[in-house]
Amino acid sequence: MSADTIPSDSLKSLLRYRQRITRMQERWQRLIPSYTKVQYAGNMGLISIGGGWSYGRNRQWETDLLLGFLPKYDSDAAKATLTLKQNFMPWKWHLSESFHIEPLACGLYINTVLHNDFWVRQPDRYPKGYYWFSTRIRTNVYIGQRITFKIPQHKRLFAKSVTAFYEISTCDYYILSHVGNSGYPLHELISLSFGVKLQIF
Amino acid sequence: MKKLKFRQLFPLLLFALFSTSCELIDYHPYDVHISGTTDVNATNIARIENACKGKRQIRVAVIGDSHRWYDELRIFVKNINNRNDIDFVIHDGDISEYGYTKEFLWTRDILDKLNVPYVALIGNHDCLGTGCDSYNAVFGPTNFGFVAGNIKFVCVNTNALEYDYSEPIPDFNFLAGQVGNNITLHSVGVMHARPGDDVFNNNVAGVFHYYLTQLPGLMCCINGHGHTLRHDDLMGDGVIYHQTASLDDRIFLLFTFNDNGTYDYEEVTF
Repeated sequence: MSADTIPSDSLKSLLRYRQRITRMQERWQRLIPSYTKVQYAGNMGLISIGGGWSYGRNRQWETDLLLGFLPKYDSDAAKATLTLKQNFMPWKWHLSESFHIEPLACGLYINTVLHNDFWVRQPDRYPKGYYWFSTRIRTNVYIGQRITFKIPQHKRLFAKSVTAFYEISTCDYYILSHVGNSGYPLHELISLSFGVKLQIF
Repeated sequence: MKKLKFRQLFPLLLFALFSTSCELIDYHPYDVHISGTTDVNATNIARIENACKGKRQIRVAVIGDSHRWYDELRIFVKNINNRNDIDFVIHDGDISEYGYTKEFLWTRDILDKLNVPYVALIGNHDCLGTGCDSYNAVFGPTNFGFVAGNIKFVCVNTNALEYDYSEPIPDFNFLAGQVGNNITLHSVGVMHARPGDDVFNNNVAGVFHYYLTQLPGLMCCINGHGHTLRHDDLMGDGVIYHQTASLDDRIFLLFTFNDNGTYDYEEVTF
């Protein structure tokens, strides 16, 4: 059978089908993380590894999903943590062809410890309203800076750029602990962390 | 322009950061990553037992429920250091508010500035998250006893609700061991929550009290948790439970224990 013998409404439906599939695939494709990230310290584990998505007109927004590892130290078991992190980098300064810095990165992240000894809400055994806070969920805020090296096109393997960053953060506990106390130096309130991001596409 | 700004800002910031970076690295609030002195109670008990050897009168300052009142804790330390009539200090529990590791270190570092030795008991807040592990690492076992002069101080973990039956709280095996140790003439029972409190295992409140009364010459009991000063004959047998106030009230209890089995107490504001 030659092509011109295919009935036109059958062709139309085939076309609609192709369009739908393409749209669906495009939508799912957005879920592919556009970078991977490794971060050291920052109240979410010794080391956290994960990926995330860059978006926005200048890709000034980022959302990370990180799995953290917390060694045992003097506790009874090593722990895993999970972090959802929202980043915002309003400016980009180009230093050269291959380098640019983001003079300000800021954001918020929520961390949870994956361990039975921690709770979101106090267990039933306690009298009502005994502990108002959650031992499992910590909210952190940070500011930091980043420097990015753009990998030349002919040298790219898995990533198009490498970003090194540092962040200064604080978490809800640190703030709560120091409200009403005058005697503590700033370094007890804030934490420093470092990381590397590999931008895949 | 932009390059200039960067060159001025970046190295400066980095320098400021790295010069203090070690203190700034935090893995997790509940990481139980301990720095500084550990086994605080054991070390201080050795000091207490040594210094009080042969003493006929022991003077003890007791505080509790310091939670996150660090300013008040510092004022307390200064106050005690300005006196020279106190043999040692007892903190009867709730060293922390949320049970995270640094809270134990902060409280320890402030109390370490005392000129006299101190011991700290575990409170219910100190059991939250990995709090127990931090307490164990920094201060030691949650049940302990020591001798000052000829008085035995028996310090018991009574925060049953926090352990949810995973461990025997209060630990009667520990108490039985203390009862059997007839090395002193007189005793004092110390705990965070007292019988009848919400975190106490009240099914054994009477038995617990009975065990304490089996200690040689029990003079009185001391507890925290209630946040208000109280002196109650809880079981109607003449054994008084002295309850310390929370630290924001800026009152400590000053006990004078005599080797003839009498004692006196004073509420001292600071």
